[in-house]
Amino acid sequence: MIWIGDALVSSGEAGVYGERVISGHRVWDPCRSKLAALYYLGKGVELTPSMRVLYLGAAHGTTVSHVSDYVEVVYAVEMAPRPMQDLLEVAGRRRNIIPIMADAAHPEEYASLVEEVDLIFQDVASPVQAGIAIRNRAFLSPGGHLILVVKTRSIDTAARPEDVESRIGAEIRPRYTILDSTWLIPYHRDHVAFICKR
Amino acid sequence: MHSYWFGDVDENCCTRADGDPDALARRVSSIRTSPDDIAPPDWRLARECGAVKDRSEYLGKLREICIRMANDLIAARYRGRDTELIQMVMALEGIDQAANQLAGRLSDWFRILHPSEGWKYRPGDARKVLARMGEDSAGPMKELLDGILRLREIRAGLAREIGDRAAAVLPNCSSLVGGLVAARIMARAGGLSSLAQLPASSIQVLGARGALFAHLTRGTPPPKHGIIYQHRRVHNAPRGARGKVARVLAGRLAIAARIDCYRGMLDTEFIGRADRMIESAGGRR
Repeated sequence: MIWIGDALVSSGEAGVYGERVISGHRVWDPCRSKLAALYYLGKGVELTPSMRVLYLGAAHGTTVSHVSDYVEVVYAVEMAPRPMQDLLEVAGRRRNIIPIMADAAHPEEYASLVEEVDLIFQDVASPVQAGIAIRNRAFLSPGGHLILVVKTRSIDTAARPEDVESRIGAEIRPRYTILDSTWLIPYHRDHVAFICKR
Repeated sequence: MHSYWFGDVDENCCTRADGDPDALARRVSSIRTSPDDIAPPDWRLARECGAVKDRSEYLGKLREICIRMANDLIAARYRGRDTELIQMVMALEGIDQAANQLAGRLSDWFRILHPSEGWKYRPGDARKVLARMGEDSAGPMKELLDGILRLREIRAGLAREIGDRAAAVLPNCSSLVGGLVAARIMARAGGLSSLAQLPASSIQVLGARGALFAHLTRGTPPPKHGIIYQHRRVHNAPRGARGKVARVLAGRLAIAARIDCYRGMLDTEFIGRADRMIESAGGRR
């Protein structure tokens, strides 16, 4: 990962969402991106130029644009039309983003498009986040990583976030080796990131 | 056999898919894969197939097809009859918020210049207050006032249009609770098909999110009604019967929404029965 002073950056064409630029590099804000927050906390998976990434819950393409600065190709899955319009704009100017409008809970919809990847990054608001991670495992190469960001509040608003964390952990443990789990405070509230290996 | 965007792959042979990007995109949309049989494509297969000559061409072609499919899907989603109605409801709510906030600001401003004026103990509504301010204001204050009055005109026209469209898009819901309330409920649900998939209990408390989450997290009493409270059958019902009316009405709305979504025609027989049920629960027409 590229750091300039204490700032995480990526290098690519700037102006995607009004991000700051220092000495020609795009600043990657941890308060706006859960993946950036993870790197700020000293965790995460090193992104390399040869990497293939499946990004579930691509939304408006802000974090996707930073990931695409680092890796070979990003398969960006998003199902809502409004954010997808923004994502398409970003993909129009970045040749290594492959935008896919589909529901991450139904990977069979994009099974004919997405190749085997080295990293799955999942950041979706859904009550079945663990199920989505498990269903998409088929795309992960042996030894590949899954970064699963869990919005505990979309699983159960009333339960304690810590209880949700252990519930999700128990759900994915049979299919993935959990290497680490990290709360994204102070950058994001009630979000926990699992780093797993297939 | 596995079907991929570039062709069909068998144990030992590969059939390349031909055609322009549009034809390829249509072919991809028709591919059905079983969730238990996902085998990701390998780009080298596409090269063996003769579909591409190198990896960069593989990614380039795939990207073009995906962008095309996404554009088509977005267009299809926006073609729904309910999508513009949702925007109109949002615009109406935006106007209400802005006009009320500005009118409050203007009233405070006016009373600094006219300390002896008060709005209490005076018969009449907000319209009269605005008219009174119109008599004694000038410059930017007058312009702001005219702006608020103009917003109110726009709102009236927009509300009529929403009512007309709702009668066409949501005939059964509209006939139960009126076009405007029906459109609001549909917009809050996120669309007609989302509304048709909601249980009645959710429809009953749509728009009471704060109260619902306070109930779930802090154990306050559960909300009895959300947007449907705006319908006179609920808010005119005797206090003790409101919850019951809201529940019965929500139950009928859930069915009405499904008729609207899947049949799209007014069912007068259903409406007649529903009206009688709501009436016997305490909600007079």
